[in-house]
Order: sequence, then structure tokens, then C-alpha cells
Amino acid sequence: MRQSNIGWLFLAPATLILFVVGFVPFIYILYVGFFDWNTNAIDPTLRWAGLQNYRSLVFDTTFLNSLARTLGFAFFVVVSELLSGYVLARALMADRLWGRQFFRTIHTLPIVVAPIAVGATWRLLCVPGFGIVPYYVKLWFGIDYNISTNAYHAFATAIIMDLWHWTPFVTLSLMAGLTALPKEPLEQAQIDGGNKLQIFWYVIVPMLKPVLLTTVFIRLMDALRSVDEIWMLTKGGPAEATRFIGLHIWINVFPKTDYGYGAAMSLLTLYVTIVLSWLLFVAMTGRKGGAQ
Amino acid sequence: MNSFVKAACVGFISLGVWSSTALAQDSWWKTAAQPYQGATIRGISESTPASKYVEQVLGPKFTEETGIKVEFEATSWDQMYDKAIKDMEANTGIYDFVYIEQDIVYTYLARNFLVDITKTLADNAKIASPDFKPENFTTFLNYFKDPKSGNVMGVPMEAFIKPYLYRKDLFDDPAIQKAYKDSTGADLKPATTHDEYTQIAKFFTEYGADKELWGTTVQASSSHPAAFYEFFESIAPTFGVYNWGINGTTFAATEANGGQMNSAAAKKALNYWVGLLKYAPPESTSSTWDEVAGTFAAGRAAQGLVYGENAAWIATDESKSTVVGKVGVSLPPVEAGVMEAAESGKGYIGYYDGGAFGIPHSSKNKDASLLFLQYIGQASVQTDWVLAGSRIVMNSTYDDPKIVDQDKKMNGYYTLMREDGKLFAGAPPFPFHSQVLQVVAPFIYKAIVGEIKPDDALDQAATAAEAELVKLGYRK
Amino acid sequence: MRRSGIASFVLWICLTILTLLPVWWMLIVSMRPRVKLYSKSFLIDDLYWDNFLAVLNSSSFLQYLWNSLIVATSNAALVCALGLLAAFGLSRYKISGGDNVFFWLITNRMAPPAVFLLPLFLLFTKWFVFGDFMLFDTKIGLILLYCVFNLPFAIWLLKGMLDGIPLELDEAARVDGATTGQVLSNVILPLARPGLAVTFILTWIFAWNEYLFAATLTSSADARTVTTALAEYVSVTGTNWGEMAAMAFLTTLPALIVLGFVQKHIVTGLTFGALKG
Repeated sequence: MRQSNIGWLFLAPATLILFVVGFVPFIYILYVGFFDWNTNAIDPTLRWAGLQNYRSLVFDTTFLNSLARTLGFAFFVVVSELLSGYVLARALMADRLWGRQFFRTIHTLPIVVAPIAVGATWRLLCVPGFGIVPYYVKLWFGIDYNISTNAYHAFATAIIMDLWHWTPFVTLSLMAGLTALPKEPLEQAQIDGGNKLQIFWYVIVPMLKPVLLTTVFIRLMDALRSVDEIWMLTKGGPAEATRFIGLHIWINVFPKTDYGYGAAMSLLTLYVTIVLSWLLFVAMTGRKGGAQ
Repeated sequence: MNSFVKAACVGFISLGVWSSTALAQDSWWKTAAQPYQGATIRGISESTPASKYVEQVLGPKFTEETGIKVEFEATSWDQMYDKAIKDMEANTGIYDFVYIEQDIVYTYLARNFLVDITKTLADNAKIASPDFKPENFTTFLNYFKDPKSGNVMGVPMEAFIKPYLYRKDLFDDPAIQKAYKDSTGADLKPATTHDEYTQIAKFFTEYGADKELWGTTVQASSSHPAAFYEFFESIAPTFGVYNWGINGTTFAATEANGGQMNSAAAKKALNYWVGLLKYAPPESTSSTWDEVAGTFAAGRAAQGLVYGENAAWIATDESKSTVVGKVGVSLPPVEAGVMEAAESGKGYIGYYDGGAFGIPHSSKNKDASLLFLQYIGQASVQTDWVLAGSRIVMNSTYDDPKIVDQDKKMNGYYTLMREDGKLFAGAPPFPFHSQVLQVVAPFIYKAIVGEIKPDDALDQAATAAEAELVKLGYRK
Repeated sequence: MRRSGIASFVLWICLTILTLLPVWWMLIVSMRPRVKLYSKSFLIDDLYWDNFLAVLNSSSFLQYLWNSLIVATSNAALVCALGLLAAFGLSRYKISGGDNVFFWLITNRMAPPAVFLLPLFLLFTKWFVFGDFMLFDTKIGLILLYCVFNLPFAIWLLKGMLDGIPLELDEAARVDGATTGQVLSNVILPLARPGLAVTFILTWIFAWNEYLFAATLTSSADARTVTTALAEYVSVTGTNWGEMAAMAFLTTLPALIVLGFVQKHIVTGLTFGALKG
């Protein structure tokens, strides 16, 4: 390691760009959040409101519901992707699996599909009256599946869509982690007579922890950001059943032009996200003592 | 000196020759557009059949005559608003003319987004076409006049009513008529009251149980403003609740403060409308105006309220519609007393929809765009445009033989529009259109999916709307 | 073990069907004429290409495709160049507060984009204005903006890779009299080339797939990208599912082609180099 400020020179261009497109906007919402500002109000200018926007937000059930819904969604998808990803990774590693490479390639496909196209595709599948999913669910199970009237169906579909899109990523990263595990502790545990569950919980999980945390970290952050797919699939409906926080902010800021309130909302959301990611980040790297 | 005279003479003669050939080609447009040769004007519009015609026919024709290029973007309703408003709000100058839907014109006027067309033409006679006469237009033009000066701010490009369409083939089928009589005791004919409408919807839903046929369309998307519009602009007025139930002077919405949004009539209307979902195909709860038209065109509904812009293709275009020649048109069903109120001018029974093209202040090619707007505002371009987009903005168009002929194929839609158009009205003059819409719509969605009762939905919506109006500073 | 092989095989067959089903349905719908759309059959009835032709013939779609290509490629190139420099700085120099800077860089990638829509819109239209030029509705604007999520990603990925290049190689070069620039270009660059390729392709895919920023900060055919075209098209055509499916397919195609090149590295890439695939 060279002790020198020349290092900063190399960092400077990247830092400058991120400062302009990442930090300045942050300062700007911080500022706007203190004002009452709607360009379609009788007075379309910025009017000082102090903490009023934040005070309203704390009691705004639509906002809080949307935030809770987003966290719930993220929790659901991350847990189920982790579970199914593990099972699939194991299955893909089975000793004699014919066509392993083929399966792996197919499985990688959803990862690169644009979220907006994923949403469009799932809309084609699920839209009432047209899609095949409502038709066959009715035919085979007798259930009136309808994502535009039933909040549970819509929410579940959003989760399943996310599973389709991102489980492959979890599978592949867990598989990478599993492949890299040393063999000895596993063999030792088998000799010691541990059952499968015990081996999984006391041997595999601790060894896999860094991989698990990284995967959770990335998936959680992405799940909290979901907007595109949901927008295409349900437009946040029925009613507000799938109106996740990103979409809620968009509605307040653009069609409603409620800039002040939207800024406060954005800032609070950013805060929640950063706290979550910071906690995970510390969990990921904490043992080694601080970041890195 | 000599040479100067010569040059002047040559110039003069050539000018004369040039202008006489111009006259011979009857191109006032070419002369007027001379200074703007090679300019490109850019417009944005909602993708309706009428807009498509502007994009594919009128734009290229104008370019051919004037040398001014027209780039025309026809996109969805949501996107059109999003883009046009952002452009004008940011003063970017991307668009030289924008689509102004009748319901947003008040916002645009309040924000001072638009160029005053009357004044600009008066100030600049060189670009004022003799063929552009505001008095040619129907009264629909009045929506696009500045209330203070009376000046024209937009050139109407489409106008429709939202009529009641029904399947004439089914209504006229003797076997069905008999079955209807047997089951209800009444004669099968287009409904004039809400009870009749519901009864017919119920009958056809039962009759069509194994035929992929339902009783009615409902534009009840549970997450798109289309639902808000159908309820407040097409259903509530037929129950005598006008202007979204918001008082235009006090901006009260709740009944307690003198509004009507949660009045007994409004609640009856929402209960009726949500009740229709029982007799509507499953796609209704995800239907905007497009899907409603699509459902009707696919022969999946026996009756419905369908925007007029789609009436023509549903009734005549065999490549897209399976019900060509089977479409009847009538006035929407109403509550007792509402028709009388509408006839006396105190109310209205449905939505008179449409839009105009206007020029934003941010445009960098105002004169060239003004030429284009006048070009599409000539009486001579109207007829073929109507055939393509079933939109009528000039009185003279109704009498054109081609239109009379198409009117027959559509079972009298144009006649209905001409004679009863006065019973319909545009959206209320609210500059806070989008804001209140975004606040109220979720309650309508919740009523559609049954998350809350229609009565509660309107109570909560009215309270929320009032709070928003206070926040915006309209309601004191 | 044999039994588990067969069970896995069956599981994977089912899974492959599930994975492909949405894509297959999209393809079927894209090849159906409008009047046959309500058919629920899983088979391609006939080779009907009009939906694809309609999409490809609309001039604006090709323009959007072109915009996407320019934005994604320029952004990926920019991000790789700046990312390599930054990673070199972070990996080879002891920078005071370097860890904090690094954490801040990564935070940018994790922040929900919706949060930045309002300030970016206002900045792009009111503040970052130079005479007649404003960043709103320009490709340049998007290219810069996509750095907000791609640059941290590239830095993280490339730092991991540079950390793996032994420091001794630098020192050896320096002993031979190489300047810092020469170390970077003659020692680091050749060794980092495979890593750079993966970074380039992944950031390219992210930029290609991005929707929310593009939808908010562009408006006309000058700058709109193909993902916004898809979203627009869906609502424009309403019930014209056939064309929508065709367009969704065309939007996805380039990323699928590119996937072929990075399939093996995708895990390494997506986990920020934390895992080796």
C-alpha cells in the first residue's frame, strides 16, 4: 500500500459524478422536504412548512401501509427465494444429473430479462379474461383467480413473479457457495452420527453464512426497490394492494405534483432503506471489524 | 443604376410569376410557410383513431404543402399527460403543440401554459389563414376559450359523446325477446332507467353463461383513473350528481359542507355501478376505456357505455371487431328527473369528451405550429378525418353525404351526437383536476374490489378531497 | 445417490417448464392475430408475423432501440473507465477515510431510485441548465445518471479483482522505472481485462434494463429508451396484446444474446465479486 494522496486523484472522477447524481439530489430533497410545495396549488411557490410534512407522514396510513407492505413483500420474497434457492442448488449439484449445463443455462435466463418486460410478460399470463393463468386455475382448481379484484391474489402473484425472476440468482450464488465449502467438516459430522437437519443447521449454515448474508443483502435491497414489474402487472392495484413504496412516491410526486410532501416521503424511505442496508452490511463484514 | 433597375425588374417579374404559380396551385399555405421552410414541429397526443389520422395523413399532407416537417407522437393517455405537463412545467420546449384534453384545459389555463391563438393571429396577419374560422366549430370550442378574454387557446381536434351501445342483433332476436319477456315480464328494448339496465344485464349474463357473453361492460379498472372517470363523468350525472359532487364556489365535497360527493344520490349511483360488476366479464375490473371497447368489440358484452372515439371501428372495422353491423346506439339510462334537468340546461347525462391542440409557451416554433393547427382546423379536411376517427368538431360536417352514410352504418351515432349532444357536458372547470383525482380514485378502487362499502368509500373520498382542497388553498 | 439424481432430474424438468412458460406464452401471443387472442391453447397456431412487423415498422421503436444502444454502451464504457481508476486508487493506495468513501459509494447503488426521481427531475430541468441546453430529455443525461447505480457496482467488482492482482507485480514494474500510468496500462490493464469484460457486459445489461429513471427524465424520441417504449406501448395499444408481446420479446432479445457471453460469470458479477461462480 502506498501512503499517498495520489489515491484521491484516481477516485476523484468517480466521486465527482456520484456527488452530482447521488449526493446533490439527496441534499435537494432534504431541503424541499421542509416546504409545502405543489405547483398546482393556488400559491405554486415554496412555502416554509418546517417539520409539518414529517408530522403528517407519521400519521399518513396510506404511506405507512405502503411502507409496511413493501417490507412485507421484501421479507416474503427473500425468505422464499432463499429456501427454494437452496433446494434447487442442492438438486443441481446432485451427483448424476443429466443435462446439468442445460438446466443451468435455462435457469439463468430470467435474471437478464428487463423487469419491465417481466411485468409485461406476467401481465399477459395473469390478466383476467385474457391470460391463461386465470383460465386454467378455474378449470383445474375451481378458484376464481383475479388479480384485479382479489388483493391476496395480486400480492401473491407479485411474489411469484419475483420468485420467477430472482430465485435463479439465489440458486446460482448458493451453489457457488456450496461448491466452495471444504469437505472435511461435513464428513466429520457424518462420522459423528449427526442427522441431516443437524448437519445442515450446525455445519453448513455457519460455513455458508457470508454467502447467505451477501445474497440476502442484494436481494433485499432489490426487493425494496421494485417498481417496474409491479407497475406493469397491477399498477399498484387492486385498490392499493400492491402499491409499493416506490410507486407511492411516484404517484405523489408526478401526477399529484405534491413536491414538498413527496420529498419528505422520499427522505424517510431512504432513511429506512439505509438503516436496513447498514445493519446487514455490518452483519456481513462486522466480524472482521468494521467495513472491509 | 441601370443594372439596379434591371435587377429590380427581374426580381419583380419573378416574384409575380412565383406568386401567380403559387395562386394557381392554390397554396396560401406555401406562401405563409415560406419563412419556416425546413423547420420541424413536434407534437404529442393521445393515441386515438383521430390522432392516428393526424399522424398518418394530415401531418404528411401539411409537410408536402408547406415544407414544414411534423413529428407526431401518439402515446397513451397517461404518458401524454406525463410528457406534456413535464415539458411545459420545465419549459423544455420539446413539444410545439400538445393535446389538451377537455378536462385538463383549466389546469393549463391556470398555469398559463398556452399561447393565445386569437391574439397571436391578430398580431401576425401573415400567418392567419382565411380558411381557419373559429365560428365553424361546434360549441365544443367554447371549452378551449379563455374565460376572461374569450380568446381561442386550442383548436379542437376530436369530440365525442359517451353513448350507450347495445347489441342490436341480440335485442332484435325474437327468441331472445321471448325469453326476456318470459323471465322478466317486460319487453326487451334499450334501457332508459337504471333498473331496466340492471335487469337487462342480469338477463344476458344468465343467457350468455355458456357463450362467453355478459350483460354489460364496466370501465372499472381497480387501479387506473378510468374507473374514477366512468363513475364521476358518466354514472353520477345520470343520478343528478354533477361536477364530481364538488361545489364550484366553496369547493366543498362533503354533504355536511354543501358538497354532493357523498350525498344519497351519489351513494345510490356508486352502489348501482359497483352492482353491475356482477353482470360484467372478468376483465372489467382491469378495464380502462380501451379494454371496454375491446370487450364490446369481441362480442363479450350485450350493452355498455363506450367512448365515442371507439364507436366507429367497433361498428364498422371487421379486422378488429366481431360485432360489425350489430351495434345499436342510444342515450344512457337515467334516474327520474335527470333527463328533464339536462334538457333545461341545469344538468347533463354524460360526458362530452374530446380534445384540442394548443401551443405551449415553451415551444420554439410557435408560428409554424400555428400554421399547422389552422391547417387541421379547415373545414375541408374534416370529412375524411371523421370517417377515420368518428370525431366531429364542425357543424357543417354532419351534412356531408359520406358522414350521413357512415351514420347509417353506426345506427345513428352522429345523429345522436348532433341532436342530443347538448345533453352531455365536459369535465368541470377545476384547475386541481389531477390532484383531487389522485386523492379520490383509491376510494373508488376500494369500492370496486369490495374492500369498503360504496357508502363508506364516498364518505371517505369526500373528506379526503376536501382536505386536499384545503391543502391546495382552494377551500378556505 | 442414483435416486437423488433422478429426483433432481424430474424437479429440474418441471422447473425448466415453469421458467420457460411465461416466455413461451409471450411468444405464442406475439404470433396470434387479433381476433384469435382469446384462445387458451399452448400451441403456436400459425406463423403470423404481423405483430413483429408492426412493431419494427414503427419508426419510433427503432429510434428507441438505437437510444438504448447508445446509452447502455456509453454508460458501460464510462463506468468501466472511471471504475477502473477508482478501484486502482482504492486497491493500491491507503486513502484516509477510504472505507467511508467506499461505503458511501456502495450506498448509492442500494438507494431506491424512486427516492431520487423528484430531485433529479427538478435538477435536470431547473438547475443543470446551460443556456439552451438542459439535461432533461437527453441521452447524455441518462448516461451520467446511470452511473448512480452502475459506478458503485463497477468499483466494487473491479476492486475485488484488482485486490487479487499481486502487489509485487506493480512493485516490480516500478523498480524497472515504470510510472504510475504505465503500471496501470501495462500491468493492471492486461490482467484486469477479463474482469473488465464482465463488468462491461453486466453494467450494459443493467443500463439496458433500466426503466424508472428513463421514464421520468426523458420524454421524446431523442432520448427515450426501449424499456420506456415497452411500457408506453402497453398502455397505448390497450388490448393489442399481440404487439405488446412482440415488443416485450424484442426488448428482451439483446440482453438474452449478451447473456451467452457472461453466463458463467453472472454470479460473480451480481454478488459484487463476493462469490466466485
